[in-house]
Amino acid sequence: MNENTWNFWTVASSTLNQMLRSATPVALAALGGLMTEHAGIMNIGMDGMILMGAFTAAAVSTALASAALGIVASIIFGILVGLFFALFTVKLRSDEFIIGCALNTFALGITVYLSRTLFDSAGISNAPHLHNIAIPLIKDIPFLGSVISGHSLFVYMTWALVALMWLFVYRTPLGFWIRASGESPETLRTAGKNPERMKWIASILCGVFCGLAGAHLSLGNLNGQFGQRMVAGRGYIAFACVIFGGANPVKVFLAALMFGFFDAIGLQLQSSKLVDADLTSAIPYVITIIMMVYVVVSGQRRRERIAKQQLKKLELK
Amino acid sequence: MKKIIALLLVLVLTLGCFAACKKADKPETPATEATPEPPSTEPDKTVVTIVVAGTFGDRSFYDSSKEGGERLAKDFTGLDVKFVECNNENHTVRMQNAAAQSNIVVCVGWEFYDIETVAPEFPDVKFIWIDNETSAPVPNVLNIVYAQNEGSFLAGYIAAAMSKTGTVGAVGGEDSITINDFIVGYKQGAAYFNEATKVEINYTNDYDDPAKGKDCAKVLHDRGADVIFQIASKAGDGVFEAAQEGSFYAIGVDSDQKYINDAVIICSMKKEVGKSIYDAISKIVGGDASQLGTTWVADMSNGYVGIGYGEEGATQQIPDEIKAQVEEIRAKIVSGEIKVDTTRN
Repeated sequence: MNENTWNFWTVASSTLNQMLRSATPVALAALGGLMTEHAGIMNIGMDGMILMGAFTAAAVSTALASAALGIVASIIFGILVGLFFALFTVKLRSDEFIIGCALNTFALGITVYLSRTLFDSAGISNAPHLHNIAIPLIKDIPFLGSVISGHSLFVYMTWALVALMWLFVYRTPLGFWIRASGESPETLRTAGKNPERMKWIASILCGVFCGLAGAHLSLGNLNGQFGQRMVAGRGYIAFACVIFGGANPVKVFLAALMFGFFDAIGLQLQSSKLVDADLTSAIPYVITIIMMVYVVVSGQRRRERIAKQQLKKLELK
Repeated sequence: MKKIIALLLVLVLTLGCFAACKKADKPETPATEATPEPPSTEPDKTVVTIVVAGTFGDRSFYDSSKEGGERLAKDFTGLDVKFVECNNENHTVRMQNAAAQSNIVVCVGWEFYDIETVAPEFPDVKFIWIDNETSAPVPNVLNIVYAQNEGSFLAGYIAAAMSKTGTVGAVGGEDSITINDFIVGYKQGAAYFNEATKVEINYTNDYDDPAKGKDCAKVLHDRGADVIFQIASKAGDGVFEAAQEGSFYAIGVDSDQKYINDAVIICSMKKEVGKSIYDAISKIVGGDASQLGTTWVADMSNGYVGIGYGEEGATQQIPDEIKAQVEEIRAKIVSGEIKVDTTRN
């Protein structure tokens, strides 16, 4: 394939394919992050949670020679991390920000320490992993097939989880209570529910989703690899997506896709030598900042508008 | 409940302190018994500390330096070789601490710019800086840089010869002088095989995230490259994975990486960091310190860069005739008949 045959469609399918892959770990973690966000906990510890999930998945998968058990282990470990996080933020009421930072730093240390002790190396490689799935029929559709087919199971699972999460948050009593525990804990208490318990549940769910995101990174996206810095800030991007999507699962997923898209487009641009490599790697982060500014400004505008309407009503009276 | 937890936490902390004290005590007591003086002032034991900018376990650059250090410790009984990892932060402090406790400090990584100010603070300590050089000669610093452009020339030639599409690729760690030194050589080598060979390049901008390396390689493959050279340390592991999934070939870097994935890694551009450390230190230990204060370009003529085809019994994808041509080119580079471009000054 040379410059003549290299065309728009190949670039587009290459970009969209990478968008789906890049967005998945961020989206999975963000699904967890939106739970804690609804419960009124500011969780910046997702980066560490993902890393621990990635390590657990890779380590257990290596030890027991089974990728499935590795994923199960990362979920169980996610529950433990969630409990740990809730113990400090909910039970002991310590500063969420500090605990989040501590979790991130702790994860960097403990994973490598365990990896060194157990495997005599700072990283893990060649753990049993998930194989990519070629979807029958869809994979033969010219453009769509190369975009949608051939991803790891997690990519498809995430789409289903987004829908399930939306149903959970907005259509089940438990989801409603979790939201209430963040927005108005006293009201929830009046209704006879314990807001603290809801926060515990939200925190555990966050741990589980971050564990899954980690398992995806090490066993789904990569072929059974772990490295200390492999999370590379995805937890923070996930947090940004949660804020940008207003903690609504569908919007959060779209935000993650947008992040993936700009990540992919950046890589295409620098590969085409249109833009400098140093610049393109910053694109997703610049977009994140722009997103944040947009969220704040639009929120303010909305409040102003509402205030003006209220004033008008008063004047009419 | 809360009180119990708080008490438990305090207990853990205090116990942790005790444990830490004990640990610190332990090596001290036998050390004072066995050797009357601390190691740094002991005349017959030379302490060598190898400080790496990242972490071991990259199966490439840093691990190669570790292998060299381990070989030194085995072959020279008078050497006490220690290893320090900077984990990509606090390079200067770690280098200073190492210098305070050793006779020879090897700084592995281009990041140790502060060596120019640290080395004069420790005039009795000998420094070796791997993969970069001081802006002006410092009397107790030996800079070792590698002619990676020459090795990459061969890698480029092999890539172009093995490519069916006429497009080859390279995934760099970042757009920097050292990485681009690989790339100019690679491009030139590919063009030496066939002027029309297209070379596609991109950069991961990250040395630790294999997912990024995988994405980069996939994009290059989508652009037609069917042999991809990875120059991105741990992130480059992703290139091998992409190669396996996309059924194309990859070329390893720094160490002979063929063992990582025999089926897709056709060869590796070897940069013998460990060997150069070994040779430089054994020279110093032998009493010849003339190299200090200079920059040593470890190049192809003395075998510090070259191509590795894996250990014996490894699957060989490259036909013998191409290997023979590579050998001829190697001789030509050594003799100076072929001049390889470089980004080093």
